[in-house]
Amino acid sequence: MNQAELAAYVHSQLRQEGIDLVLSGGAAVSIYTSNRYISRDVDFVATGLASRAQIKRAMERLGFREVGRHYEHPDAKWFVEFPGGPPSVGTEPIAHIEEIHFATGTLRVISATDCVKDRLSAYYHWHDRQSLEQALLVAAERDIDVGEVRRWSEVEGKLDEFAKIEHELSRNSLRKPPHSV
Amino acid sequence: MLEALLGSRNSERVLIFLFAREEGYATEIARFFQTDLYGVQRKLDGLEVGGIVVSRKVGRTRLYTFNPTYPLLPPLKALLERAIAFYPEKEREALFLNRRRPRRRGKPQ
Repeated sequence: MNQAELAAYVHSQLRQEGIDLVLSGGAAVSIYTSNRYISRDVDFVATGLASRAQIKRAMERLGFREVGRHYEHPDAKWFVEFPGGPPSVGTEPIAHIEEIHFATGTLRVISATDCVKDRLSAYYHWHDRQSLEQALLVAAERDIDVGEVRRWSEVEGKLDEFAKIEHELSRNSLRKPPHSV
Repeated sequence: MLEALLGSRNSERVLIFLFAREEGYATEIARFFQTDLYGVQRKLDGLEVGGIVVSRKVGRTRLYTFNPTYPLLPPLKALLERAIAFYPEKEREALFLNRRRPRRRGKPQ
């Protein structure tokens, strides 16, 4: 089972228990870049009102064990995490969710444009260069709405920072290879 | 002030402290409010799990700040700003007036 299949499995199993999730973070970058970026964890954000206790019970039923703030499974090489807070990119709610089907189940993932915003949020606030690189990788592989990223950057008060990377982001988003998940 | 709303006195203390000083560590917060360190640590931990604060190690100290990407941060800060206006003047001054500029090692306090 690869990372995306594991994520789809966990997502589908928890959904059956009434826990709605969306994949975000580095694992979403991995999926959108066909693993050109490798993430060691699988970050799910709860889109419903599931409690941490509910999630813990469901994960334990799947054979995961809570270790600190993440979950581990003896047969999986990825950690599964459930970062707190409402599903958002910066100060705005997640706009669109994609559904991708795998043999192990269906996975809901933040859209490629939101994935870029999510990475840029870390770049804007912590000057994390790796996050910018990931945003550019996603832009190079997927159709993203650069105008929407600009609008969001302005809402976040980061239009000046966006202006510095807009050219690179647009150039990457125009150079798109054919892709499959 | 916000204890009933936030569910605990330590939640209010931690949030008010971080709002006033922009950053802080558990011992500093507990010392300021003359309260139990463990309770403050537990609250900071919970706020970090909830995505409201983030932390980083500075030497041997874990320093906490508000998470700038937390979507409800602007209204939360607005609430804290309003609440702190009702604090006694002495406590408000103590929260906001703290030395952040460098102080040479060995200089008398």
